[in-house]
Amino acid sequence: MRASFQEELRELEELLDRQAELVLRSVRAAVEALVARDVELADEVIAFDDDIDDVYLRTQEAIELLLARQTPVASDLRLVLAILHSNVHLERMGDLCTTIAKLTKLSVDLPSDEVLLAAFREMGERCEEMIRTALRSLHERDAVLAESLIHLDEMIDLSNRRVVSRLLELGPENLEWGLRAILMSRCLERIGDNAVDIGERAAFLATGEFREFTDASRDPRPLV
Amino acid sequence: MSAMRQMGTPRVQGTRLPEVTVGVERAEIERREKVFSVAELGVSYSGKPALEEVTLDVYENTVTAFIGPSGCGKSTFIRCFNRMNDLIPGARVEGTVLYHGADLYGRDVDPVDVRRRIGMVFQKPNPFPKSIFDNVAFGPRVLGLGGNLDERVEGALRRAALWDEVKDRLKDGALGLSGGQQQRLCIARALAVEPDVILMDEPASALDPISTTRIEDLMDELKRDYTIVIVTHNMQQAARVADMTAFFSVVVDDDGSARRGILVEYDTTSKIFTTPSDRRTEDYVTGRFG
Repeated sequence: MRASFQEELRELEELLDRQAELVLRSVRAAVEALVARDVELADEVIAFDDDIDDVYLRTQEAIELLLARQTPVASDLRLVLAILHSNVHLERMGDLCTTIAKLTKLSVDLPSDEVLLAAFREMGERCEEMIRTALRSLHERDAVLAESLIHLDEMIDLSNRRVVSRLLELGPENLEWGLRAILMSRCLERIGDNAVDIGERAAFLATGEFREFTDASRDPRPLV
Repeated sequence: MSAMRQMGTPRVQGTRLPEVTVGVERAEIERREKVFSVAELGVSYSGKPALEEVTLDVYENTVTAFIGPSGCGKSTFIRCFNRMNDLIPGARVEGTVLYHGADLYGRDVDPVDVRRRIGMVFQKPNPFPKSIFDNVAFGPRVLGLGGNLDERVEGALRRAALWDEVKDRLKDGALGLSGGQQQRLCIARALAVEPDVILMDEPASALDPISTTRIEDLMDELKRDYTIVIVTHNMQQAARVADMTAFFSVVVDDDGSARRGILVEYDTTSKIFTTPSDRRTEDYVTGRFG
């Protein structure tokens, strides 16, 4: 029953998947451009953000029409709201990849640090894993899988915090690159946070209750 | 080779994204054939105007909904499409209604033939006090339509999504069916005479929610082969099922003596329910005024 409506809901989930695919490619390419100091690839990442924005807008429009015409309720409404929020988080991730690419271009001729570049590569892989896990938890309505994102996020947060201590070990010749490296690390850390946010929406979809997985005011982990 | 190049070109190719933008939808609908072209239509009963100055086109293989408050003339308007107003003493229709380009009210037009091609389903299901089979077979028999009658009846019942429920009891009385089944029987009765258009005046307002959903799903299927026009006082129903929606409202003369219906806005349903152009439409669909 309501075949057209069910089809529209499926298409919404497909749009989100399409968005996630594009973001995954952007993350992979942004990190690769950073590590390989590839300005051409960085330019591609920047241009590619238009594609991510295009799907973002289409998804927004589809949600608006679906809400206006089909009046979804219960789990259908939670699905639409989860997609609404996740769409924004994915679009933010795309913007963060663009920022990484721009910072890469600005620092391509500066002396870098192999240790941090390796850390960035690992953070990038972790981000990709988190995006995939977050989307899977949403599609499978799996609150437990969604909450597992916290542990993946901790690794990224830890790497982000270590950037400053590593930079303090390096000499002043790495200073300019280092200042930009802090920002790039922050972007990767924010991509991870956005994936956790999608997980929170997935858990809401599954359980009907929205809660934040972690809260800074109650986070027992040391700031270092 | 870079990762992005390894993953394929940055520009996403062959992406099948659903076409959901409002502008695209209207353009696509307006490319279809016009089944009805209405120009400056007005209807009066015994000299009192009931509806005036309606101009709109109904497109092939669409569901078009007429919505609006009580007394806005939407039922009067839908009756113009199959000349049912002819049967009301004192009713007068002015303006033109073209059906596939021909004047529906032309001198040589047979109203009975009009009502075969442009079938109607009413608010209260009205099956004949006959068997299920004879209800559907009635029209073809009277019109002398050829072919195998059994096949014609089965085909109509299948298209009305009723066959599976009645195939083993076609000789049973139609009045023994549930309300929702009776309404689908009435749809089958209309389909049996091979119409081009199906008009529905509040087709589900007398039905329970599940039967209503079944009728709405049926409209979605039927529009592939027919053109559907419905009157509904249920805005959400129009939002769910219709491709195009016309909003009618009531105007009152300055001295408050006469009320008549007018067409306020006609556009894609998506537009009507997201960004209506007219303030009156916005007030109606948001429930601020009815």
